[in-house]
Amino acid sequence: MSVMESDRVPTAANEPKAPPAVRRGVRIRGNYLPYVLIAPAVVVLVGVLAYPLVDLFLLAFQNVNDYLHLSAPSLVRFIGFDGFTKVLSSTEFWQSTERTVLFTLEVVTASVVLALLFGLLLQRVSSWAKVTVVTALMFVWAIPQIVTGTVFRWLFANTGGVADYVLYRVTGDKGWRTHDWFADSNQGLYVVVALAVLWGALPFLVIGINAALTQVPKELVEASKLDGANGWQTFRHVVLPVIKPFLVLCTALSFIWDFQVFAQIWSLRQNSPEEGYRVLGIYLYQEGLGSSHYSTSAVISILMILLMLAVLVFYIRQVIKIGEQD
Amino acid sequence: MALSIKPGRVRPSGVRRSHENEVVGRRRWATPIWNTVAVVFAVVMFFPIYWMIITPIKTGKDLLSVDPTFWPTGFSTASFKTVFTDPNFLPDMRNVAIITVGAVVMGLAVGFLGAVAVARFRFTGRNFFIAAMLVVQMVPLLSLVIPMFFILKNIGLYDQGFGVILAYLVFTIPYVVWTLRSFIVNIPKELDEAALVDGCTRWGAFVRVILPLTVPGLITTGVFCWIQAWNEFVIANILLSSNDQQTAMVWLTGFSSTPTHGADYGSQMAGALMVSLPVIILFVIFQRRVASGLTAGAVKG
Repeated sequence: MSVMESDRVPTAANEPKAPPAVRRGVRIRGNYLPYVLIAPAVVVLVGVLAYPLVDLFLLAFQNVNDYLHLSAPSLVRFIGFDGFTKVLSSTEFWQSTERTVLFTLEVVTASVVLALLFGLLLQRVSSWAKVTVVTALMFVWAIPQIVTGTVFRWLFANTGGVADYVLYRVTGDKGWRTHDWFADSNQGLYVVVALAVLWGALPFLVIGINAALTQVPKELVEASKLDGANGWQTFRHVVLPVIKPFLVLCTALSFIWDFQVFAQIWSLRQNSPEEGYRVLGIYLYQEGLGSSHYSTSAVISILMILLMLAVLVFYIRQVIKIGEQD
Repeated sequence: MALSIKPGRVRPSGVRRSHENEVVGRRRWATPIWNTVAVVFAVVMFFPIYWMIITPIKTGKDLLSVDPTFWPTGFSTASFKTVFTDPNFLPDMRNVAIITVGAVVMGLAVGFLGAVAVARFRFTGRNFFIAAMLVVQMVPLLSLVIPMFFILKNIGLYDQGFGVILAYLVFTIPYVVWTLRSFIVNIPKELDEAALVDGCTRWGAFVRVILPLTVPGLITTGVFCWIQAWNEFVIANILLSSNDQQTAMVWLTGFSSTPTHGADYGSQMAGALMVSLPVIILFVIFQRRVASGLTAGAVKG
């Protein structure tokens, strides 16, 4: 903050609520005003976020399911870590985790690499071509995930599907013409769902990386060229360091999106994903609301949050530093 | 944060780009090749949307052929009729509109105040508040849904639009605080001070200086919140149970999995198009602003 600001509210840092005895107009108001301003946000977030999170923890250590919740609330009790032991020893949980990790690795890598390539491409094209690409991307960006799933189900349908037709025309193999992409869940998840998620993620990433690339000082690129660096060396030692913070952001965001993928799978599989599509998000949903094992679902939620935190801890540290900067 | 005026950073690079080619000495002969690659990329990316628009106006014969027709041979409105005669379609579109407007307005009002606080004041707990706003955005919505379900049931807001509006504040408020913060920080503080010197009260300075200058930021942020709320599925699907309370996204998943429409891609695409249309229109209107808003929030962050 500027010097002016700290002059006006000298005690702000140490005394959030000055006693009314030192009533000196603006100074005092400056002291509690920020708290008044953030109060609504804090109150709402405590209500819709902190309280549900506490509730989630309580649920995870209880034995709540539909029967106990509705018919015999008196039987609800705390069972300690029994819920965790049960989930952690089930093969379903580990299979879902494995699928989620593989899927996330695949899609995050593809998203960031492709976004970087297309971002670099946009730096090299004429402005009309750039406008064309950005316009197309903006439309894609607007499409809801549920719609993406519905459209991709149609594109990959085994009768009249575009993907089958294109592969049939390209390879000439009649087998492709009525190929069912969803019969084998590995193909469905790691090809069709992955493509749908990638398609939805690329607009933000490409436009963002392109914007980050325009921040690279042209003088530096020019200087490195004059010093005899080739294209790769210039990219590696001049461009990359400048866009690195944004690439980290892209990776973190893609990770967050892909690790909790849900809507695309849900609509691609018409509301009832088969076992092979059960990533953690689908698994916790089916346990919680399909089978009404609320406590089991809460345990899976907590494990999912912990897994995400473990990966994101470096990113969060960086984020907190940004918060402290200004 | 000194009084540096950040928005300037974006524009000069744009100006520089106009003679970039001569400066950096890029191989000019390669440009047509890159242009072609870019156009192919744009076509591939846009194709699913084209397909969603073209499918519902196809005739039944085109829809049922084993090989897809890339250009319709006839024109039919039957698919749209199917969607509009579905008894839940229009009520659910109305529901999602109400819920979205509620979530956006409440999110902007509450978030804006928070953004002013962190952008203009230094106070104990400020850094914690800013960091919390970012970390909060990483909590998976899916994990909150079950406790929310119980809480809303207890307070009697389950299966009601207002309960979902409250639930949506969990993602709109942190986003608004974080994004508007960078907009407000960029308004030179001399302007507030000039207003104060000229005899404005703090409130007057806020209404006459900060508020008008934040309007572009409010619009950009509002558009993003609108999109998130309109497109949200998981929360709405769980917190609303009766058919006439649901949102358009929930309607679409239900509609496309009924036995009658499960394989009727004509009307599924008509439905998909109708539920995404409000968001697409919003994007077209605010395209320029949305693109610059993205770079403002993301790159500077």
